[in-house]
Amino acid sequence: MNKYDVIVVGAGNGGLAAAANTSKAGLKTLLLEKHNIPGGCATSFKRGRFEFEPSLHELCGVGTKEKPDDIYKIFDSVGAEIDWRYEHTMYRTIVKGEGGYDCVMQAGREAFYDSMELAVPGCREKVKTFIELNDKCDAALDYVEKKNGNPNPLVMVFKHADFMRCASHSVEEVLNALEMPEKAKTILTTYWGYLGVPTDELNCLHFLSMLTSYMDNGAAMPYMRSHELSLALCDIIYKNGGEIRYNSEVTEFIYNEDGTVAGVVAGGEKLYAKEIISNVIADNVFARSKGVALPERDVKLANAREFGISVATIYLGLDATAEEIGIKDYTVFVANDANPRLQNDNRMEGGFYIVNCLNQVIPDASPKGTSMMFFTMPVYGSDVPKDLKPQDYKKYKNDLAEKYIRDYEKVMGINIIDHIEEIAIATPVTFARYLGTPEGTIYGYRTSGWDNVVMRSTAQVKDNGIKNLSFVGGHGIMGDGYSCAYMTGEATAKKVIKRLKGGK
Amino acid sequence: MGSKISKLNPADFLKLEPTRENKIKEAPYTALPHEDVYHPNQIAKALHPDVQNLVVNKIDVFSDDVKTYTLVADVDEGTKAVAYFSAGQYLSVRLKIGGVELTRPYSISSSPKMALEGYYQLTIKRVEGGLASEYILDNWVEGTKVSVSAPQGVFTYERLRDAKTIVGIAGGSGITPFRSLAYAIENGDEDCSLILLYGSRTVKDILFLDEFRALEARTDKFKLINVLSADDGGEEQGFITADLIKKYAPEGAYSIFLCGPQAMYEFVDKEIEKLNLRKKFIRHELFGEYRNPEKELDYPQEAVGQKFKLTVIVCGKATEIECDANVTLLNAMEKAGILAPANCRSGECGWCHSRLISGNVYVPKRGDGRRLADLKYGYVHPCMTFPLSDVVIDVPPFKA
Repeated sequence: MNKYDVIVVGAGNGGLAAAANTSKAGLKTLLLEKHNIPGGCATSFKRGRFEFEPSLHELCGVGTKEKPDDIYKIFDSVGAEIDWRYEHTMYRTIVKGEGGYDCVMQAGREAFYDSMELAVPGCREKVKTFIELNDKCDAALDYVEKKNGNPNPLVMVFKHADFMRCASHSVEEVLNALEMPEKAKTILTTYWGYLGVPTDELNCLHFLSMLTSYMDNGAAMPYMRSHELSLALCDIIYKNGGEIRYNSEVTEFIYNEDGTVAGVVAGGEKLYAKEIISNVIADNVFARSKGVALPERDVKLANAREFGISVATIYLGLDATAEEIGIKDYTVFVANDANPRLQNDNRMEGGFYIVNCLNQVIPDASPKGTSMMFFTMPVYGSDVPKDLKPQDYKKYKNDLAEKYIRDYEKVMGINIIDHIEEIAIATPVTFARYLGTPEGTIYGYRTSGWDNVVMRSTAQVKDNGIKNLSFVGGHGIMGDGYSCAYMTGEATAKKVIKRLKGGK
Repeated sequence: MGSKISKLNPADFLKLEPTRENKIKEAPYTALPHEDVYHPNQIAKALHPDVQNLVVNKIDVFSDDVKTYTLVADVDEGTKAVAYFSAGQYLSVRLKIGGVELTRPYSISSSPKMALEGYYQLTIKRVEGGLASEYILDNWVEGTKVSVSAPQGVFTYERLRDAKTIVGIAGGSGITPFRSLAYAIENGDEDCSLILLYGSRTVKDILFLDEFRALEARTDKFKLINVLSADDGGEEQGFITADLIKKYAPEGAYSIFLCGPQAMYEFVDKEIEKLNLRKKFIRHELFGEYRNPEKELDYPQEAVGQKFKLTVIVCGKATEIECDANVTLLNAMEKAGILAPANCRSGECGWCHSRLISGNVYVPKRGDGRRLADLKYGYVHPCMTFPLSDVVIDVPPFKA
C-alpha cells in the first residue's frame, strides 16, 4: 500500500510530466502535492466573472499537430489533448524617453528579420547571422548526442567552433563581436527577462534556443488557462493507475544506509519508493533530509547557487473590451532604458515590465464586453523590502500595482483604472505562499554565468550524488521556463523508467 | 560578415567546467536552511498560516441568541500570534459536534488593528436549526480551544477597484464585516468612507448600536442608517430599496457592499438592478450554504426525495455513505464524520476542489465557482454539488 516504484514530489509542470510518463510506462506512481490543486504556477484562479492565469503568458516550443515541437509531443505522447491557441506577433517593445523606440516584432524567421530591418535599417544580415548561430549549435548538439556525449575534440574545434563560442560567451559578447548596432541589440534581446538574467551575463546558446523557439513556432497557450494543461496530465496519471494526493506536503525525506533515498513522509505517513523525482528545489529537499550525511558536492552546489527571479504580477478584470480601452497588442514590453542591465538594476523603480491582454489571442477568455490584462514585473524575492511587515503588505502591493498601471496608462494614453472590476496582485510573497520555494522564486536557481544550462547538462551526472533521487522543474538542468519544466519532467521520467524497467 | 564572431575564442569553452567546479568547491558544506528563514516566506506564513489554534478568552453576551467571542492565540498549541487580515475577511472555524466534523465561515467582526493587539472577535447569531451556531452559543466558554483557518475571502475594500465611498448593506449578523471595516476606516487602515444601511427587525435586534454611534462621533467617514422592518425606532422603516439607497448614496460614484442572509440578497439584488450600476460597483459577501436545489428551474425534478450512495476516496481509502438529493456532498461527508477540506461553503473559493470519478451531479448555476478546465475534466466543489445518482469522488485530505 505504501510502497511505490516512483514517488514524484510536487505537481508542478516537471512533476506532472514525470508522473504522467512513469505511470504510462506501467510504474506504480504516487504524486504528492502540498497545495489542493495541481500545477504550481500552471493553474488558474477566479475572481468574480474572470478566470486568471497566474504567471504564464505563453509557451515556446509547442508547434502544431502538423508540425509538432517538443511541448506538443510531450502532451501528445502520453495521450493528453490540449486546445492550443497561437500568437504570431512576438512582442511590441517600447523604450521611453530620448533615444527610445516603439516597434513590433513578428514571429517566423523572415518576418522577424523584416521587423528588425524596419526598426533598424541595415541590420537584417547581422540579425540573420546571429539567429542562425542557433542552427549551428543545434547541429553541434546533435553530433554530441550521436557520440553519446563523447565528441571528438578535433571535430568540435573544426566543425563546431561557433557552438563552442556561443556556449561559452554571453549574449552581449556575441552581439558585440558581430558588431550589432546598439539599438538592434536591445530590440533583439527584449526577451532576456523570460530567462531572468541580463544579457551581459546570460549564456548566448541558452538565449538563442529560447528566442528561436518562440520565433519558429510563435507562442502558444491553452484555451482554458494553464489549469487545462495540469488537469490534462492528471487525467493521464489517473487513467494509467497513478495516484495523486493533494494537501500532502512532504515533511521529510528518508534515506537508506547506503545514502540512497528510501521514501518520504507526507501527512504523517511514511511512503517508500525505488525512485524519487523531486519537483521541489534541492534546497528544500536537503532541508528536509535529517539524520543523513548528504553528498558533499550536492550540498555545496546548492549553497553555491543563487535563487532565480520571481515576479510581481497584477491581474485585472476590466469592464470594457480591449478595443474600447484602446489595447491593441497581446504582449508589450515597457522599459525606461533600452539596456537590459539597467532594466534589471532598476527593476524596482519601474524600469521594466510586461503587459499582456489574453483577449487578443483568446477573444472569449473573459465574458462579452470585458477584457483581462496582466502586468508582469521580474523581481527577486530579496527585492521585497526587508522592513516590510505583514500588516503593511496590502498597502505595499497596491502601491506597486498603482505605479505600474499609471505608468502604462501614460505610455499608451489610455484609461485602465476606471475599468477595474476585479484586481489581484501577486508578489514574491504570493509565490512563496503557493509554491513554497525559497524567496518565492519561480525560476529555481539563477542561470548565472557560471551555472549556465550548458554546464548544468554537462555536469548532470556529477551534480546528482543520490542516484535514485532526480530533480525536475525550473531548478533543473534546462533552467527556468514553462516549457523547460515539462521537458525535464519527461526526460527524467524516461531515465527512471529505463533504470527500473531496463531496455530502451 | 559572419566571420566576425571568430573574434571570440572557442577555447573559452574549456574554461567553463573548471570555473564551475571551482565555484562549487569554494561553497560551504553547511546544511541548507528551511525556506521559512527567507523574508517573503515569513510574510506569507504570517498572513496565511495553515492553521491557527486559538482559545476563547472573553464572551460578550448581547442576548441568548447573539454573542461576541474574543479569541486569542493559543501559545500552548503552537500559535504565537493571530494572523493580520483585511476588514471583510472570514475565518473558517473547525467544529466537532458529536460524530460530525465540520467547518463554518464566520466574518471577523473585530478590526485589523485588534489582530495586531492579539485578538479576533467573532459574533455568532443563532440560526434556527443551524447546527454550528447553536453548538457554539451553547458550548463555547472561556478557555474553549478553537481551531480556525487563516483569514480568507475577498469581501474587502480595494482602493484601485472600488469607489471611495462604500454603501454597505447589512442584514442581521451580516453586520460583522462592516464593524471591522468601520474600525479599519477610523484607524486609517482603509482610506474610504462607509455609509451603512443596516436592516434589522426591531431596535432590539440592532447589534453594536452604541459602538456605531460612538464611531460616528469620532469620524465623519462612517455613518449608520438603521432600516427597521417591524418597528419605527430607526432612521428608516421598511426594507432596503433602490430609493432608499439613492437617498443616502453620495453624488458621485459609490460601491455597494452587501452582506446578509440569502433572503436579503434576493430582495436587495432586484432593487440594485434598478440603479443601473456597473457590475464593478456591486460586491457580495459569500452566498452561504445552498439549500433546496429543487427550486431551481433547471433541476431535474425526478431526483427530488431520492437517496443516493456516495463513495468518498481520501488518500486511496474508500468510505461508502449516504447522501440525500437535497444535501451537498460536503454536508453528507461531514454528517458521516469525514472531515473534508472546505472554507467558503458557497462554491466560490475552490478549497474543497475534488475529482468526480463517477455519477451525475447538480451544481446550481449561481454557486458554480469552478474553473473552465474543471468542467472539462470532471471536478466539483462538494460544498456546491448535489447528487443525482450514486456518486464516487476523490477528496483531498483535510490539511491540519
